Amino acid sequence: MIAKPLTLTRAPQPQKRPLSRAQRATRLLLLALTAISGYALVTMHTDHLNWATAFASFWHNLQLMIVHPHLGQDSWAALLQAFANTIALAMLTTLLGAFLAFFLALATARPFAPKPLALAMRSLMAVIRAIPTILWVLVYATVIGLGNEAAVVGLTFHSVAYLTKAFAEAMETVPPAKLAALRATGCGFWLTVRHALWPEVRASLLSWTFIRFEINFTNAVAVGAAAGTGGIGYNLFMASAFNFDFQEVGLIVYLLLAFAICLEFVAVRMRKHLTH
Amino acid sequence: MLTIAGLNKTYPNHKRGLEAVNVTFAPGVTAIIGPSGAGKTTLLRSINRLITPESGSVRLGDQEIRTANAKALRKIRHRIGMIFQDYNLIEELAAIDNVLHGCLGGKTWLAGILGHYTAAEQARAYELLAEVGLADFATQRCADLSGGQKQRVGIARALMQSPEVILCDEPIASLDPASTQAVMTLLGDLAKRGIMIIVNLHQVDIARQYADHIVGVNQGRIVFDGPTAGLNDAALAAIYAKEAVAEDA
Repeated sequence: MIAKPLTLTRAPQPQKRPLSRAQRATRLLLLALTAISGYALVTMHTDHLNWATAFASFWHNLQLMIVHPHLGQDSWAALLQAFANTIALAMLTTLLGAFLAFFLALATARPFAPKPLALAMRSLMAVIRAIPTILWVLVYATVIGLGNEAAVVGLTFHSVAYLTKAFAEAMETVPPAKLAALRATGCGFWLTVRHALWPEVRASLLSWTFIRFEINFTNAVAVGAAAGTGGIGYNLFMASAFNFDFQEVGLIVYLLLAFAICLEFVAVRMRKHLTH
Repeated sequence: MLTIAGLNKTYPNHKRGLEAVNVTFAPGVTAIIGPSGAGKTTLLRSINRLITPESGSVRLGDQEIRTANAKALRKIRHRIGMIFQDYNLIEELAAIDNVLHGCLGGKTWLAGILGHYTAAEQARAYELLAEVGLADFATQRCADLSGGQKQRVGIARALMQSPEVILCDEPIASLDPASTQAVMTLLGDLAKRGIMIIVNLHQVDIARQYADHIVGVNQGRIVFDGPTAGLNDAALAAIYAKEAVAEDA
């Protein structure tokens, strides 16, 4: 039997695929944004602007911030106290949020909650999460007045919704059979939660809580500036937008950076400790 | 004695789990055998009501289990140990902590929530781990144990309940032959101490080797109930009837 000679066939040319609806929408949006930006640039009134002076001033302010950070109108004690306030605000709202979220997650996670309740909880938490934290703080500021109280309630409110979702998802990873094994020994609901669920989700819950603390710290700075609730955010706002004291702005930014680095260091250590 | 009478269970997908099951379990090792999906697990889990049957009766001594209220059910469950195919241990905890879980059902709520164990309970847990050959693994995380070791921790957890009955849901399905022998021998020894052992098995030869009594289940019905010596080819054909037909087809 003679083997058939191999014949080389030309690979079919790849055809240009038509754009999907989403791709077309994205391109259209980018095009529109480019057009708006272009129009804004062209119609900008720059008659009074001296570009050379503007760039020199910008460079000077940047230098003041980065190379010459210094105290301005606030003393070290005042700055550190404001800083401590912001940390306390982030910590308080995170702990409150985590505590409430744990119980709400039990009413949201599928192994524990009946389907209609789980669905209702998920929907409610999604609605709360959809509105940014700052807006919640402003909403509560109009209800209970500007100040730390509005910040505490607003930040906690959003933290609860965020952590409830995260905690419920962590709880849903625990095989129901493990919970059934504890129930089979005669344990009731809370004993099963304490001895079967908690050890399995502890690491995950602590990790989420820490992530939320980082978010709440950032939010606490922002609400200090935007909603006038005090803390280091307020000092930052006053130093930059009112006093134009860029040396103090630089100092505050360095303080925030140092704290962020410390948080990251703690987070890495904590994750290592929890996963080993 | 554990008596089941007229037990029926239908799943939400209309699959018949159990149909008019009548069986009495006596002390010793009773093996429940049958093809996959025959209702072995449903029958076993109906005993401690991890699955709730619609009708019928399950009685341990003079206590009715099927209709017991939540508090009574917890007390009854504490008298019935259970071991699982997938062990169902809390893997993040040490072996000793998992064994101590066995006594939670008998403690006050506060002591249970706080995880407060008496010195006697702790000593008993260590003793049980030694009994199942894991004295040196007491403080080791369960995630780091082998399958056979995990199953023995599961047995120690069940023994911590000082149970009258131990339900075993395919306890050797995930084990190698050596571990299978160790686990089945251990269950046999427990039966000799007066604990009623009810074990779901897929392996007929293992059931013949270790069980005193065999219950054969097929399509949710009891098709054989008798001493191991009575399990002849005709009985096996009845137990695995559908499976045989499916294989022939």
